[in-house]
Amino acid sequence: MIRTTALTKRYGAGVAVDGVDLQVDEGSIYGLVGPNGAGKTTLLGLVSGLRRPTSGSLHVEARLEEIAVLPDTPKFDPWLTGREVVVLAQSLSQSKADRVDEVIHDAGIEHAAGRAVGGYSRGMLQRLGVACTVVGSPRLLLLDEPASALDPLGRREVLDLVARLRGVATVLFSSHILSDVQQVCDTVGVMDKGKMLFQGPLEGLLVGSALPRYVVRCRPPIEPVVAALAAEDWVQLVEQTSPDEASVTVRSLTDAESRLAGALAAAGARVISLGPEAVSLERAFLELTGQ
Amino acid sequence: MSLWRLEWLRLVRTRRWIALVGVYVFFGLLGPVTARYLSEILSFAGGELQGATIEFPPPVPADGMAQYVSNVMQIGTLVTVVVAAGSVAFDALPEMGIFLRTRVPQVLRILIPRMVVTAVAVVVAFVLGSLAAWYETWALIGTLDARAVVAGVAYGSLFLVFVVALVAAVAGRAGSVLGTVMVSILILLVMPVIGIADAVGRWLPSYLAGALGALPSGAARPADYLGAASVTMAAIAGLTWLAVALARRREL
Repeated sequence: MIRTTALTKRYGAGVAVDGVDLQVDEGSIYGLVGPNGAGKTTLLGLVSGLRRPTSGSLHVEARLEEIAVLPDTPKFDPWLTGREVVVLAQSLSQSKADRVDEVIHDAGIEHAAGRAVGGYSRGMLQRLGVACTVVGSPRLLLLDEPASALDPLGRREVLDLVARLRGVATVLFSSHILSDVQQVCDTVGVMDKGKMLFQGPLEGLLVGSALPRYVVRCRPPIEPVVAALAAEDWVQLVEQTSPDEASVTVRSLTDAESRLAGALAAAGARVISLGPEAVSLERAFLELTGQ
Repeated sequence: MSLWRLEWLRLVRTRRWIALVGVYVFFGLLGPVTARYLSEILSFAGGELQGATIEFPPPVPADGMAQYVSNVMQIGTLVTVVVAAGSVAFDALPEMGIFLRTRVPQVLRILIPRMVVTAVAVVVAFVLGSLAAWYETWALIGTLDARAVVAGVAYGSLFLVFVVALVAAVAGRAGSVLGTVMVSILILLVMPVIGIADAVGRWLPSYLAGALGALPSGAARPADYLGAASVTMAAIAGLTWLAVALARRREL
């Protein structure tokens, strides 16, 4: 659905997007993560046609009318009611199906649909923005931080709404809330300083990027065990996380599987439990961005 | 809901129509009164200056319309610029610009309803103000030549449409509402200065602004404004094209 090659956007001497090769497959939900200033919003602007690239190529298999864009802080004419804004979005879209009531219900703004938008909170504006984005049944949705202003319940509802679009439409959404990306995306792209550091299936990021880490629980005292493991050349790092628990980062899975149990036995550890630590997207992200 | 209805709602719900009609009709009612009672007003305000007495000739009907035009083409034009800028600067808030631009690929489709609805509202307000001034002039001072008034209103309306097109073109470059208002006013102020040279001034759109004042007095004939009217119509088309071209180039 979206394919870019060496896509670059410069503003004067600064580079907002630096040679990005983006590939978003049709029907997928693609999560774009990165710290503030990573270039996520600029990349979405380039894909939507609202900004022009400085160099590189961009191919989007959807006409402009088939693309819906949700900015991170949606704004609407304050004297329109919420319902009128959705009706306007519907009437300007290519879709002939009347989905106004359905999307207002799904976005959870039924109670406020008759009120002027000028009185909406930021969270309600974001819900209204989501309703406007989906009402025209677009083929491609570009969502910039769609849940950033929402409370946990609102976030859950918006993420469910996005998840329901899987296979129906293609969704490219940016977020700095990593758990959101982890919940709904099948593909993830990690950006920092304008560059794409990783792109691929979420599992690939979790398994491939982060160093293997094991959690060891022993009867106290655990300090001699930590010291013995730290002396091993295949151990990258040992951190004592509690009086009876340590986190062991190893060079490779093979090293851990073949040597960790023996090293613990040699150190005289009375092992309660031993297992690989589940890699979080947050940890993989921090390691990728070097933070 | 169409983009045309959106503009109608903008005019009604933001009460911009009240500002427009209010200003034009207010000056329409005030102008002839001022012309009729100018000497009395000045005497109440202290007409004698260091022993000297200012005397005015008896008012003639054309004075009523001239007084209306001198007021309305300043304050009325200023209000027109502000109202037009609030409508045609649709990218002033990028998030609102994104809403429209990603749904309506042709900028012309966004811009034309905004320009037309604003221009129609301004012209209607100007016509109402002119009718009020005409009626009150008749009631207080005397009758005016109908053909001269109608021609003057038509030329004045054309000038106001030009103002809306100018604001749209400026908005295409300036982006913000405040910037659009400031630059538009600057251009409108500079235009009469350029027009001091009569050979140039007779061809400028700003020349049309005084038609309603000059034609009923007999100081000019309707045909005298045809050159400026032609230039103004060409300028309206050119400025509309420029507004679209500049808006199309802008990144959000």
